[in-house]
Amino acid sequence: MTAARPLPYGDPAHLAAHQFLVEEAALLDAADYAGWLELLCEDIRYLMPVRVTTARGAGFDTLAGMGHFDEDLYALRKRVQRLATDHAWTEDPPSRTRHFVTNVRTFRDEGDDLQVESALLLFRSRGDTREADLISAGRTDLLRATADGLRLARREIIVDESVLRTQNLAVFL
Amino acid sequence: MIDLAAIVSQVRRGMIPAHVYADLEIFAAERDRLFARTWVFLAHESEIPEPGDYVVRRVLADSFIVARDEAGLVRVMFNMCLHRGMQVCRAEMGNASHFRCPYHAWTYRNDGRLAGLPFHQEAYGGEDGFPRAGQSLLPAPSMGTYNGLIFISLDPGAPALSDYLGDFAFYLDFYTRQSPAGVELRGPQRWRVKANWKIGAENFAGDSYHTPHTHASVVDIGLFREPKASKRIQGALYQAGPGAGTTYKLPPAGNEHSGFADQLRYVGYPDAMIPVVAATWSDRQRALVADSGFMPSAATLFPNLSFVHNWPQIDDAGTVVPFISLRQWQPVSERETEVLSWFAVDAAAPGDFKRKSYQAYLMCFGSSGMFEQDDVENWVSITDMAAGSMARRLNLNSRMGLTSEGKPVKPPLAAFAGPGVAYQGFGEYGQRHWLSQWSDHLERDAR
Repeated sequence: MTAARPLPYGDPAHLAAHQFLVEEAALLDAADYAGWLELLCEDIRYLMPVRVTTARGAGFDTLAGMGHFDEDLYALRKRVQRLATDHAWTEDPPSRTRHFVTNVRTFRDEGDDLQVESALLLFRSRGDTREADLISAGRTDLLRATADGLRLARREIIVDESVLRTQNLAVFL
Repeated sequence: MIDLAAIVSQVRRGMIPAHVYADLEIFAAERDRLFARTWVFLAHESEIPEPGDYVVRRVLADSFIVARDEAGLVRVMFNMCLHRGMQVCRAEMGNASHFRCPYHAWTYRNDGRLAGLPFHQEAYGGEDGFPRAGQSLLPAPSMGTYNGLIFISLDPGAPALSDYLGDFAFYLDFYTRQSPAGVELRGPQRWRVKANWKIGAENFAGDSYHTPHTHASVVDIGLFREPKASKRIQGALYQAGPGAGTTYKLPPAGNEHSGFADQLRYVGYPDAMIPVVAATWSDRQRALVADSGFMPSAATLFPNLSFVHNWPQIDDAGTVVPFISLRQWQPVSERETEVLSWFAVDAAAPGDFKRKSYQAYLMCFGSSGMFEQDDVENWVSITDMAAGSMARRLNLNSRMGLTSEGKPVKPPLAAFAGPGVAYQGFGEYGQRHWLSQWSDHLERDAR
């Protein structure tokens, strides 16, 4: 949680950040992964810690040193390249996904950079008869102001399940 | 009613009645005959390094607390209160000196002994009505460790773990003992897949045949130095004790003296680690890698613990880095499995190596791994297909590597340094080895 107060919803910086997340979700739902990669900074860190069930007061609820994702740009590019091959069986036929992005709060970071918190609900349907998957998560993003507009420099995905109920994470959150 | 004897006799000739991958009665038989007896992995000592550290793990529906007590001993306790049966510890992990049942506050030390219960005098008349001495959460009926791997058996008469592991212990060392410091496990990632638990266990036991096609995509994108996955056919498949596994054939080493170091360097181990590994492994273990030229890759220890060792390129410069993963196929139902996947690394390895090896693991295996994604796709589909009526008319051909008379198509490798039997090339030897143990269990009486 960020201590500072979020920008007012009418603040142009908040509106730009919100629009960035919605546009990003549209690219992911359209499976335009090459387009999505262009939104990422060269030094991107894309993290998704493993959430664990701990006693109230334990002081932690993620695993130390283990995530579902801990990616740099090389790893994300490889994942995208793979989905573009003819042999990525788990996404052929592809998932139908819908990234619902809400509860957006924007905070001023250093310079023109923005820290943006959002809630994500990913609906994922595959095949004709399988039950669909839902993944609920909170995200904290660092959006960097560049000459080309906002770019994603860091994303931490805090998933709301300790045991994922989806076949794999062949999708981006 | 299923005819278990008929099913087992088909399985023993390498023809698997397809419905066993989605059959409620088979699942019940596996629970009562197999998991009621066999050694099952629960946790690694590195997950609970300090007194009071604990993790909660299951064997099917049975929940166990795996804790390090105040004296530093590892304890495995059935996680059910002696009084009314509440699950005593409901967290997955943490540190505690005591576990207190939420229902009536019966409280247990982290070695399982009952420490106290409210109103002992008033409600029970003190020690006369309820003698506290000797009251303890039920300990696991049998428990054993090897290289810090903690196993239990629900059978109090189980053979000693070391007897059970037998010749497979030789291969376990490749994954869990690269230095005297041993291995450290991180994780697990946990996720549930709509697949029967046996399929993954069989796959890791010997299915090198799926690699060129199932995993074509990771080769397409240049994640590996080798341009073709078809070289997988040159690897040796071994069966030893309760385990079986696959290896990769390494390119010839520089010369006979530098062989071992060359082979480890080839798969990306840093020079700082190689002399330690060499001093830790036996002559015979080094010879498997150096003289025979085989590097262990996937393996399964019966029934549901698998291992993988591979060495992708982790950056555009082509830096090859190896990783190790342990994974458990935890049965949930005949059609669902919880996968627990750990990243494992030598505890004494340099920090930089640990970080890179972790990156390599995440790209390849686990909940987001690019290999694992396509594996699970196959396993879910098999389970789906096995649930119908037609699957009861189909015996799946698992006879690869056998002639019509049941003899190996090729003789076992004569010059293979490891224990057990090994064959070079493709063949479902490891899967049949696994299924033969499965058959042994299903033929026994239910416990």
